[in-house]
Amino acid sequence: MNDKYSMSEQESLQLISSMIDKAKNSYHDRGTASILWGTVISICSLVTWAQIYFDHWLGFDIWMLTIAAIIPTVWLSIREKKLRKAKSYDQTAMDAVWMCFGMAIFLTVHASLAAGAAFASLKDTIEHAGMSRPAISFNEYSSSYMLTLYGIPTLVTAAIKNFKPMYIGGIICWLSAIISIYTPVDIDMLLMALSAITAWLIPGIILRSRSKSKTEAQHV
Amino acid sequence: MFNELDPILHSQLRLAVMSILISVKEAEFTFLREKTNATAGNLSVQLNKLKDAGYVDIKKQFKDNYPQTLCTITPSGLTAFEKYVQDLQAYLKTGTP
Repeated sequence: MNDKYSMSEQESLQLISSMIDKAKNSYHDRGTASILWGTVISICSLVTWAQIYFDHWLGFDIWMLTIAAIIPTVWLSIREKKLRKAKSYDQTAMDAVWMCFGMAIFLTVHASLAAGAAFASLKDTIEHAGMSRPAISFNEYSSSYMLTLYGIPTLVTAAIKNFKPMYIGGIICWLSAIISIYTPVDIDMLLMALSAITAWLIPGIILRSRSKSKTEAQHV
Repeated sequence: MFNELDPILHSQLRLAVMSILISVKEAEFTFLREKTNATAGNLSVQLNKLKDAGYVDIKKQFKDNYPQTLCTITPSGLTAFEKYVQDLQAYLKTGTP
């Protein structure tokens, strides 16, 4: 680029628009984190459903897989930050939303476990008092909180990226949150798997294939 | 009556840099060089001119033991850029005098 060259007004506008396009197209999400979390949550939900349905319990809590998934997520995030030469406003907003989502999930799980334990002890007290033990479980409602949370970052990301598959996934999360209030835990788990697949796994696969085709187009 | 176009911005490389910087929160020197196809020396000179005009902030730091130069647009840079685009539009609406 020559800084001595005198541009016409038309050329100036063309230059502005081409540089804005270049900056915006410099980063494409490869959907790796979406695919990872969509897969992990759907596997955990489907395994929990299978345990309830077949009344066969694994010797460990399958949801521990989510803790294991944090390691590759952190690694991916550090690697991406290292490779990224520019920080976009969109990416900054999405990083903040997903970070808050992670904290919100952690706090909700913690609160749900505490509430579940309090609920169980209340049921014991009722039983000791000679009344029949209530069949209702706190877990039947906790999946509704989780699904509500799943919908928030998904819809925010959909709005920032104007990405239709994530809009659909986010709406499915919230519809599942409503339905799960009235359904037993095994059905809740199926709804959770459906939500994870539509909100994260499928959009992640679409992002990956888009990113692949963009990279191939750049190398042609 | 037309406003005179800002001479700091009405230069190919400086305008290119400013156009990139309004689209991102911050950009590394290497990113700007890659997108503008400018030489490191020329880009460095033009960035300093933008910095002296108060249009960009340049932060030098180390990343993984390598020097890293981060550039961001300042509020006055943003205002100047918006005014430049408005002036350009005014020229284009009525034709170049």
